[in-house]
Amino acid sequence: MSYFIFKRSSNGSFCISQYIRTKTRALSSLHPLDNFLDSNQNSKVFDPGCSSILHNSLKKPFGSFSLLPSSSLLGSQNQHSLRLNRKGWIWAREFGSQAAIEPRTSDGLTVDGIASSKWTILEESESDWKSHAAAIAQSIQVIKRRLQWKKLMVRLDLLSAELNKPDLWNDPVHAGKISREHGSLMGKMKEVKAFEQELLEHIDMIKLAREEDDTELESESMKALLRMRRDSKDKELEALLAGEHDSCSCYIEVQAGAGGTESMDWAAMVMQMYKTWAQRRGYGVTVVDEMPGEIAGIKRATIKVDGEYAFGYAKAEVGVHRLVRISPFDSGKRRHTSFAAVAVIPILGDGSSRVQINESDLRIERFRAGGAGGQHVNTTESAVRIVHIPTGVTATCQNERSQHQNKASAMAVLQSRLDQLEMARQAQMNSQHTQSLTEISWGNQIRTYVLHPYRLVKDLRTNYEVSDPDSVLEGDLDSFILSYLSASLDKGEGEQ
Amino acid sequence: MLKLRSSGLSCGVCAKFQIPIPRCFMNSITTSSIDVKPKVPLYLRPPSFSASLSELTKWHKWAKNLASSVGSSFINLDNGPDSTLLRRELNWLLQDLIELQHRSVILSKLESGNNENPDVSVALRAPLEEMYCVWRQRIEKRRPFQYVVGCEHWRDLVLSVQEGVLIPRPETEVIIDLVEGVALNNAPELAQGFWADLGTGSGAIAIATARALATHAHGDACGRVIATDLSPVAVAVATSNVQRYGLQDVVEVRKGSWFEPLKDVQGKLAGVLSNPPYIPSGDISGLQAEVGQHEPILALDGGISGTNDLLHLIDGVASMLKPGGFFAFETNGEKQCKFLVEYIENEKPSSFRDMNIASDFAGIQRFVMGFRR
Repeated sequence: MSYFIFKRSSNGSFCISQYIRTKTRALSSLHPLDNFLDSNQNSKVFDPGCSSILHNSLKKPFGSFSLLPSSSLLGSQNQHSLRLNRKGWIWAREFGSQAAIEPRTSDGLTVDGIASSKWTILEESESDWKSHAAAIAQSIQVIKRRLQWKKLMVRLDLLSAELNKPDLWNDPVHAGKISREHGSLMGKMKEVKAFEQELLEHIDMIKLAREEDDTELESESMKALLRMRRDSKDKELEALLAGEHDSCSCYIEVQAGAGGTESMDWAAMVMQMYKTWAQRRGYGVTVVDEMPGEIAGIKRATIKVDGEYAFGYAKAEVGVHRLVRISPFDSGKRRHTSFAAVAVIPILGDGSSRVQINESDLRIERFRAGGAGGQHVNTTESAVRIVHIPTGVTATCQNERSQHQNKASAMAVLQSRLDQLEMARQAQMNSQHTQSLTEISWGNQIRTYVLHPYRLVKDLRTNYEVSDPDSVLEGDLDSFILSYLSASLDKGEGEQ
Repeated sequence: MLKLRSSGLSCGVCAKFQIPIPRCFMNSITTSSIDVKPKVPLYLRPPSFSASLSELTKWHKWAKNLASSVGSSFINLDNGPDSTLLRRELNWLLQDLIELQHRSVILSKLESGNNENPDVSVALRAPLEEMYCVWRQRIEKRRPFQYVVGCEHWRDLVLSVQEGVLIPRPETEVIIDLVEGVALNNAPELAQGFWADLGTGSGAIAIATARALATHAHGDACGRVIATDLSPVAVAVATSNVQRYGLQDVVEVRKGSWFEPLKDVQGKLAGVLSNPPYIPSGDISGLQAEVGQHEPILALDGGISGTNDLLHLIDGVASMLKPGGFFAFETNGEKQCKFLVEYIENEKPSSFRDMNIASDFAGIQRFVMGFRR
C-alpha cells in the first residue's frame, strides 16, 4: 500500500512523503521531493526554488514501483534501485564496491561519526533525535560486525571480478553458484547501506524542519527515527543469522554417551528440551528416528525441525552436553555425570547444490525385520534403513506409519547427511560447516547442567549461566543460543 | 467370537462399543448377501466428543503403563509387538483421536507431562470410555492396531480396514514399485490397458496401481483397474476406499472368486496382480495372535503347501493377459518363488518371458513376475 502526503512547505515548494507499507512492518522512507508532482503523477516539473540541501535525498525509483518517468531531470549519481527483501520493500541506493564513498549528511556527519560522537542514548520514549540517531548508528555498527562487513567487501570484489570473466558461463554450474552468491551478498549489503542512508536523510530532514520551523515535518522525522531505532534491534538479531544455510530447516540428532540408563535418560531429556524449544518457537517438530534405551531414555534419536532459521539457531547447540545429578536409576543415590552429543544438519533448499544420489548406490533394508514376514506377520513396524554404499552413510526412519513414508523420510535424512559430508569436505572454503555426530569428540563439551549439589546451567563457550535448570530443560534456550551466536560473531571486533 | 463378547462385557461401561466388532466377524463368516456397511476410520469421524485435559492425561498414563507392562512377552510368545512398538501405536492412536487443530499442542502437553490448564476441554473423535475399551482389546486381546483405528497407512495411502479384511502388509508395497519399475518403464503402453487385482481385500493394490497408471499415462488414455474379492466385507471396504480416493471411474470392484468375474476381459488384460493367501495350512495355528485370531483366514490359508491359490492364478493368468501383459504375485518366500518359477518353466514353457523373482526390503524373495509372450 502506498499513499502520498502533499504538503506545502514554507518556501512554496511541495513536499511529498511517500509511505510504503507491508503487512509485517512499515518500512517507510520519507521522500521530500523538491518538485511538483502533477495530478496524473507521471510528469513533473522541476521547481527551481528548491533547496539545494535536498538534492542529496532525491530518489528516482524504477521497476514496478515506478512513480516518476525515467527521463528525470535529477542527477544520475543519486539513482536508487528498488529491491525486495524478506521484510518488505525498501529503498536501496545503488552502489558498487568501487564507489564506496561514505554517505554523509548535508553537514558532513557519517554513521561512524555519529556512533563515536558519544551522544547520550536516552530511553526510546524520550523524543531526542540525537539519542535515536546514536542508538541506530551503534546498531548499524553491530550489524556490520556480525555480517563481517570487511570480509563481505573483499568477497564481493572477488565475485565481481569472477563475474566479469568472459568465459564464466563455460561452466554453468559454477557460474550459477557465483552469481547466486554475488546476488545474495549484494542484497545483504544494500540493505545495510539503505538503512544508513535512511538514517542520514532523516537527520537532514530534522535539521531542515528546525530551520524552517516546520513542526509537522519534525515530528514525522522523529517518528521515523524511532521506528528505525526499533527496527534496528530486529536487524541486529537478523544479522546473527546471516550464514549461508541459516534460514534452512534442520535435523537435530542426540546420542547418549557411555553410562547406560542414566545417560540414555539424559539424552531423552536433551531431546525433549529441543522439542519444546522448537515448538515454542513455532517450528514443526517430527520424530524421524528413535532408538529407545532398554529401561529408559534413548540411545539415539533424530528430529526434524521445520521452519525459517531453524538451522541458524540450532547450530549453536552442536557439541556435548553434560549432566550432573543424583541418578534416579542408582539405588545407592550417588551423584552421576553423563553426556549427550548433539549434532545439527541443515536441510538445504532446492536452490542449493545438493549431492546427486544414484539409486544403484543404495541398499534399502527393512530394519529389525525377522521371521517369515508377509501375511505371517501383522506389525505396525515398517522401519527402513538406507545405506549409501560408497560412503557407508546410513539413515533410518521408523516413526512414519507406512514403509513408503519411512523410506521417503530416511531418504531425506540420507540426502542431508550426504550434503553435510560434502560441506565438511569443502570446510576450508566454507565456514558454515557443522559437525556430524561421528565427528563430535566427547571432549567437546559446550554446556554443563548441574542439578546437584547446586543448581546451574553454564555454557562453557560464553560463560553464560542461569540458576534455573528446569526452565532450560523445558526449552528456554534462546538466551543461551543468542549469547553464543553474538559471542562467536562479535569477537572479530578489532576487524572493523 | 464368544471370547470377544465376554471381553466386551468385562469392559463394563463400554460394552456397547463392542457390539460392532462381533457383527463384522459374522459377516465375514456367513458371507450373507446383506449389504455390508463399511466402518468409518477413527481419524475421519467428526470430533463430536470431548474430555478434559486431565481425563485425557489419565487415560494416556494408563494406556502407556499397559503398553509398558507387555515388555517383550509377546515377542517371546509369538513374535508379537513389544512395549516400544505399542507405545508408538499409542501415539498414533492419539493422533487419530484428537481433532487436528489443537493436536500438536495437546500431544506435546501429554508428552512433556505439562499439568497446566487441566480443565481445558479437548475435542475427540470418540468417547474416552471407548478408548479405554479399545486399548484394552489391543493389549489383552491382541486386536490388531489397524482394526482399532480402522485404517492402515500403506504407501502414500490411508486405507480403511476392519475385521473381515486383510490388513495390507508393508512387504506388499513393493509390488507397486514392480508395476512402475518393471512393467510401466519397460512397456509404457501397459499404462493405458486394463489391470486386475485379484483378492483385493482393502483395495490397496488396486488403488495404488490406478494412481501409478495415471502418473505414467500419456495424454487422456489412462488405464483402468478391476478389483475382485470373494468376501462381501472386502468388496464393501474396497469400494469405499476407492470412493474416498475419488477413483470410482477408474477402479471397479467386482464380487467373485479370482478370474470368475473377469470373463468379459479375458485375453485383454495388460496386467494381473495379486496377494493371494499363501500360508501353508499347518502354519496357521502358530501365527502371531494379531493375525491368527483376528484376520480373515480366507485371506491367509493357502492350502497344505500354501500354493493352492497361487497355482490357480498361474494356470489362469496366461489366458487372461494379452500378449506383452505383465503379472506379479506375492508369495510366502524363497521356497514358493522357486517352486512357481520352476512350475511355469516346466508346464508353460512358451507362455511367458522375462520371468523373475523380486525380494522385499527384508531381503526375502517375495514376488514372482513375468510378461505374457
